[in-house]
Amino acid sequence: MSMIEIKNLHKYFGELEVLRGIDLTVDESEVVCLIGSSGSGKSTLLRCINFLEEKNEGEIYIDGELVTSKDINAIRQKVGMVFQRFNLFPHMTVIQNVMEGPVTVKKMDKKKARGLAMDLLEKVNLLDKADEYPAMLSGGQQQRVAIARSLAMEPKVILFDEPTSALDPELVGEVLGVMNDLAKEGRTMIIVTHEMGFAKEVADRVIFISEGQIAEEGPPEEIFDHPKNERLQSFLGQILV
Amino acid sequence: MDAIINLANNSIEFFKTVVEFAPKFIPGVILTLELAFFSIILGMVIGLVVAVLKLTKYKWLKKIMDVYITVVRGTPLLLQLYFIFYGLPSMGIMIDSFPSAVIALALHNGAYISEIFRGSIESIDYGQREAARSLGMTKWQAMKRVVLPQAFKRSVPALGNQFIIAVKDSSLASVITITETMLLARQFGAATFNVFPIYFTAGVYYLIITMGLTKLLSKVEQKLKVNER
Repeated sequence: MSMIEIKNLHKYFGELEVLRGIDLTVDESEVVCLIGSSGSGKSTLLRCINFLEEKNEGEIYIDGELVTSKDINAIRQKVGMVFQRFNLFPHMTVIQNVMEGPVTVKKMDKKKARGLAMDLLEKVNLLDKADEYPAMLSGGQQQRVAIARSLAMEPKVILFDEPTSALDPELVGEVLGVMNDLAKEGRTMIIVTHEMGFAKEVADRVIFISEGQIAEEGPPEEIFDHPKNERLQSFLGQILV
Repeated sequence: MDAIINLANNSIEFFKTVVEFAPKFIPGVILTLELAFFSIILGMVIGLVVAVLKLTKYKWLKKIMDVYITVVRGTPLLLQLYFIFYGLPSMGIMIDSFPSAVIALALHNGAYISEIFRGSIESIDYGQREAARSLGMTKWQAMKRVVLPQAFKRSVPALGNQFIIAVKDSSLASVITITETMLLARQFGAATFNVFPIYFTAGVYYLIITMGLTKLLSKVEQKLKVNER
């Protein structure tokens, strides 16, 4: 069953057409990696899915429902988002960050939310940091908290916007490890990434975006080992030296 | 020798007058504190409301708030006090002197405080709002739970400044017959012609209030700073 269906998506920033007719279907439990050079529109595509950017044209269906800008709050509860710069709430402790969504949005009882948050922190291996403030954590730890925070809303899809790009190299592994676990659990994930090794290992499908369009897509072996599109070939040539 | 004796005598006279008049200032000092307290509290409420309204998508609301801020910041507080206390009655609106002073001072502080709040709200990284919205929060929830608590913390130093200005500005209420510290000083001075020690005493009272306020605010600041970048 398709979890996300995008039809003919167009997005303009002023005169500039950033997305030029994207059609994309993501199935339940599928892990899709979006790759492409910067400025290609991959992050914009991700941000359009949960309406952080408003699309100009096209239709987006999530879990079978057509999404309009009127019910974005409801949709966003179904679509989790993990940001490049973590965006944890600095005035809340780690556990408060994770509880915030369920308590404020879902009006979940605080005790119950705390239990849920504890479970999630255990899952990302940060139970011992529950009462610390984000500023005391390393980038990798902060990003794992951000993942736990988005999981707390029990989203049907999680969007990752370059989740390891702001991390020191030695911290990338711990975050990818958590994401790998999520993929194995059968979570539906769309990941914008520059970590080709990770994409190769975890993705069910890799999509190469170039100049606002899907230039090539397929299973990772095909994309990385037998790229057909010329721009994909040169893109891979540049990064897989 | 004579000069020294003279100076000593004068000093003794000076401090005698200070000690004599210091307790007589107490009712005025209490009024000063009340004026400052109410105008700060109300000013904070006005400031917060105006700052948030300025950030809504309704252009006309933003316009109204801009007019308010421009008028208040662009005219003297003295004129605003006269306008409310002496001006409005000619339009049939009579307000007692104390509420008049509180209204004028609160509106005045509110305009400045709203700019302080707006600045700190806008200084909060946009990613914070996006993270909150992506959890499914409404705009208002994101504002209340995520943006305002952080913005408030950032406002504290500038707010402290404004509070001190508010205390000193309350002295202008003396022109609309409120017998706060400044008016008392003028009355005592006129009655005794012993102006120097009396204004000195009034000045000490203002210093005590503003220094106390500074101390209180730096405590608040310290408390808020714990655990954060």
